Amino acid sequence: MDLALALQLNAVDPLNPINLPYFAARSLLRLTLAFGLSLGFALAYGIAAAMSRRASHVLLPVLDVLQSVPVLGFLPAVFIFVLTRVPGEGGQELASIILIFTAMVWAMTFAVITGINQIPNDIKEASKAYGITRSRYLRQVVLPAIYPELIWGCILAWGGAWYFIPVEEYATFGMTQVQLKGLGFFIAQAATESRLDSAIIGLVAMVLVIIAINRIVWRPLVARTEKYRYEATGGQRGFHARHGKLRSSLLKYEGRIANPIVTFFKYEKTNLSSFLETVPRVHVPPKVRERLARIFLVTRVIVIIGFLGLMVLVIFFLENSPIPTLQAALNQIQSFQPIKGCTGCLSGFPLLAYSTASSLLRLLAAYLIALGWTLLAGIAIARRQKLAKALIPIFDIGQSIPATALFPIVTLLILSRISSPMGIQLASIVLLLTGMQWYLLFNIIGAIHNIPNDISESTSAYGVSGKRFIREILIPASFPAIISGSMQAWGGGWNATIVSEYIVTGQQQVQQVAGLGAVLVNANNAGSAGTVVIATAIIIMTLTILIINRLVWHRLMKRADRYKFES
Amino acid sequence: MTEEPVIRIDNVSKSFLSEEKPVAVLENVSFNVGKEFLCIVGPSGCGKSTLLRMIDGLDRPSQGNVYFHGKPVEGPTPMMGMVFQTFALIPWKTVLENVEMGLAWMKITEEDRLRRSEKFIQDVGLDGFEASYPKELSGGMKQRVGIARALALEPEVLLMDEPFSSLDALTAEGLRKEVLEIWSNPQFSTNSVIMVTHNVQEAVGMADTVIVMSPRPGKVIDNVRIEMDRPRDQRDPRFYDYVDRIISKIS
Repeated sequence: MDLALALQLNAVDPLNPINLPYFAARSLLRLTLAFGLSLGFALAYGIAAAMSRRASHVLLPVLDVLQSVPVLGFLPAVFIFVLTRVPGEGGQELASIILIFTAMVWAMTFAVITGINQIPNDIKEASKAYGITRSRYLRQVVLPAIYPELIWGCILAWGGAWYFIPVEEYATFGMTQVQLKGLGFFIAQAATESRLDSAIIGLVAMVLVIIAINRIVWRPLVARTEKYRYEATGGQRGFHARHGKLRSSLLKYEGRIANPIVTFFKYEKTNLSSFLETVPRVHVPPKVRERLARIFLVTRVIVIIGFLGLMVLVIFFLENSPIPTLQAALNQIQSFQPIKGCTGCLSGFPLLAYSTASSLLRLLAAYLIALGWTLLAGIAIARRQKLAKALIPIFDIGQSIPATALFPIVTLLILSRISSPMGIQLASIVLLLTGMQWYLLFNIIGAIHNIPNDISESTSAYGVSGKRFIREILIPASFPAIISGSMQAWGGGWNATIVSEYIVTGQQQVQQVAGLGAVLVNANNAGSAGTVVIATAIIIMTLTILIINRLVWHRLMKRADRYKFES
Repeated sequence: MTEEPVIRIDNVSKSFLSEEKPVAVLENVSFNVGKEFLCIVGPSGCGKSTLLRMIDGLDRPSQGNVYFHGKPVEGPTPMMGMVFQTFALIPWKTVLENVEMGLAWMKITEEDRLRRSEKFIQDVGLDGFEASYPKELSGGMKQRVGIARALALEPEVLLMDEPFSSLDALTAEGLRKEVLEIWSNPQFSTNSVIMVTHNVQEAVGMADTVIVMSPRPGKVIDNVRIEMDRPRDQRDPRFYDYVDRIISKIS
């Protein structure tokens, strides 16, 4: 009966805060169903891959390729595919659960495999020597060994899925409108109606739900992981060290979900090779590992190019359009304009070049702001324990807000005050900032936190303090973290261009700035007439990222080596 | 008490919070350090390293006080040099820069700083390695840098926290001898050495006085003067008597 009441209220005003528990329950139900599916899949796949050497030869590479498939790129295809078969709200729910599943499942599967691989050899041998049956081995050795890694993998997956909720609860694909009742929908709807108070209430509700679940579900589970851990000498200093590591990998994971094409190029090592590193018992010589990484890099480039081509074809197929010839494809790029029939506007390749440059400039501005404040915050935290105690929980909450849920509110806030072209530029930069700053902040805080105790003691024993301490210890010690944080931040920033350059405000009003993200959105709205432009824009974005990585980050990364502490 | 000792540890207790519960690490520890080589031995966890840090001013006692020439220690001073078990060298500084680390503290010219650092780098047998980085050095060489860094302050008190326990047995033995050689040099300006160790043979081999501590919470259970001339022969029956006496106290 309560449910019926809530539904009635919906009809009058869906943004009534009374609806929030119902909306929260809907979002949570979606997440929980997808989580259950992921857990089942992860356990089955992970145990199969880790228990049988022969199976692992097939299952591991497949896993590596599968998880590199872009989920947001998936989004239109899955929705269109499912909705043509199961129309109505049921189909939308099904499609969204499938998508959340694909966002969650990889982190959890890798966690299971890592957990199994961490079983020490002597334990395996002892189980054999004492004749333990396979099912008892599974229950008494394998499952407990999986537990700690799996819990962290689950937290990762769950956090990453929240990032996704606002996107698939309120989305438009050409003609198809997806509106699923949930917290993400609540915020987006409030923003569309320019109702700032409702949007903020929705956001607060979402953050409260996220925090509550962390406290009630994950923290007690984490507390029990220590019991199942084999030896603890690896420098893991309890909850906080793991927690810090988790935050940065969570951000990475979100990035991978949002735009794996970008994330993929951000990390030199593929997941498989980093996975090999986490397997302590299997010794893989570095040369072989490098070669493996290279092989997988090449296959993944092929997979991604193939995937892009396939997406173009699928959309053409679904819309029953003829496949374009090369000439037609070139024509499509040449005649592409963000606003149709605009005379004197740029089009074609000059437009793409101009868009790339202006995206870059905005990213640079946002990056410099982010670097400035996070560095100051890091230094302040390092110098005052009390400040750290007060600030870190605030940063934690800030970071737990899915950026996708924050975007509509930021836009609303800025555009309601500054409506000139300056306003939209500013809004765009602030949106990029929200997508970039946490990578830097948590990397820097983590690095400062990880300064070995003996080093801080020796600096104070030898009178290195004040400005000298900042210049000679803090900044060099966080240099590697600043570089890797910067690479992640730029990746996150490129992801954010898509939502930050083309903004729909109240009453379907569109505001946009020149940029690659805006080109992508405009081309997406053009349906099949934009597919070639989308593929071109993605290739340009990828190339730009690759070039910047080669020219800037890789060089700095090499230099960063000497600022690392020996383990 | 006629004359104030170099270091006076007066009824020092220390406890810290572990999971909200106070854990006592040191309880009512008192002893004096004169112009001598003093070793503090005890089982791991007895608070001996904490005690050493309180002498240097890196940590504060919960109760009681540490006095340096009659004045309470309030923080690190250039009059004491500290050698760490894990070397604690800054990885992005060269050997020379690491040794110079504490010298910027003192009001001396850059020229003097360089001269002094180079002298002590030579004294510990590292000349030629001034421009190397710590990660290019072996463990024994790293600890030489750590010792040179402390000696470069020309400190009145040299503090050493298990300086040889991260090294392999042979390297440790060689370095012990060298430290004793530096100590016996009449030009050596340091008056007192305080070394923490859990190795009883090491303590008896090096120290004038051995302070023996009980398991946590650490208390002083014996104060042994080693009346043997250096270099000491490990096969000397008196050596064994000292070692046996100390080990029987600890266990």
